[in-house]
Amino acid sequence: MEVLAYINDINYFLPQKRLTNQMINQMHPEWSVDKISAKTGIYSRPIADDDVFASDLGVNAANRLFEQSGIDRSAIDFIIFCTQSPDYFLPTTACTLQARLGLPKSAGALDYNQGCSGFVYGLGLAKGLIVSGQANNILLITAETYSKYINPKDKSNKTIFGDAAAATIISNKPAGAINGAVQDFVYYTNGEGFDKLIVKNGGAKYLNETGVDILDDEGAFIRNDDNLYMDGKAVFEFTSFVIPPLIDQVLEKNKLTRDDIDLYVFHQANDFMLQTVRKRCKIPEDKFFIYLKDCGNTVSSTIPIALTEAQSQGRLKPGMKVLIAGFGVGLSAAFTILQY
Amino acid sequence: MNNINEFIEKFKDQFIDADEFELDAQSEFRNIDSWDSLTGMAILVMIKDEFKVDFSENKFRECKTVQDVYDEVLKIS
Repeated sequence: MEVLAYINDINYFLPQKRLTNQMINQMHPEWSVDKISAKTGIYSRPIADDDVFASDLGVNAANRLFEQSGIDRSAIDFIIFCTQSPDYFLPTTACTLQARLGLPKSAGALDYNQGCSGFVYGLGLAKGLIVSGQANNILLITAETYSKYINPKDKSNKTIFGDAAAATIISNKPAGAINGAVQDFVYYTNGEGFDKLIVKNGGAKYLNETGVDILDDEGAFIRNDDNLYMDGKAVFEFTSFVIPPLIDQVLEKNKLTRDDIDLYVFHQANDFMLQTVRKRCKIPEDKFFIYLKDCGNTVSSTIPIALTEAQSQGRLKPGMKVLIAGFGVGLSAAFTILQY
Repeated sequence: MNNINEFIEKFKDQFIDADEFELDAQSEFRNIDSWDSLTGMAILVMIKDEFKVDFSENKFRECKTVQDVYDEVLKIS
């Protein structure tokens, strides 16, 4: 009998502190509140406190998931942690989460470094563990605090990103009212675009380098190698040209057509980019789910947050086929279909 | 595309409030209210789609009117 992997439940956690459009307008008066929300679709972003880290957000998301889903912690046999903000270079943050969450010592624990495509990658890894008989009940946590990488003078990036974590249970059986069976995957990687979204300093390659603010002729901030840098044009082109044919590929791989898909949940980068990629993929508005006005781009958590919201808004129901697409930093993209 | 009117139409379409203003060849497009770097990116993507050329950001920055952009794009396509 075919072994399947099912998303049983998802929950998420947003830190309480907020960066609102009003606050951004005060720092950058040339950007009106209306212009920010019209272009990005974002009204406010959750921001972790200085002493709160991705691991903490992850613990909160997982605890919320356990409390609200009634899933037994002692049933977890693997924990996978997706972040680009680990607590330490070593040890693995997922190991610390095993202890902090009171999970069995018999569980496997692994970090992986991915961003916008991270949730879909996590489902791929989880499905692999299940189908190969290595694990039955996997806790996948995506958690990010890009705010800590963003320079206070960086108007564009601070407007887009929010901090958050999401926790997902993937298991070998359906459980509860609604389950998403994970279908086949398409992956894409283009390492030539590695520097289009990057925090250059602080890793092994440039461990002891210190960046300086680079400004343009008018004194506006461009970049600082200590901080997150995004080449907006390159990322926009990536989304516009590379993603649409890959949508066709994942449909073909799963022997489906666009008409078979009931809902598309893409990585929630910002509204302008989402609408551009929606039109270029020829997806009708009523099948395209958007949720980012109160959280912004939370990197690897955008898709699980959107799936949770789609469910609570009644837009995600048993029987539906949902196409999920994660794409961005790497440059990396991953796609799959969920059969609810 | 060998017709400036079609180009103007496609150029205008990249603005989020395209229905709310008029655009012609002499329009200084950066003065339009909703103009920003995202709109600029969408225009460069449109140019890549229609003309199959990579129109450089630097050249784009030098252009003031829609006609300027059209002329420069034709030079490299």
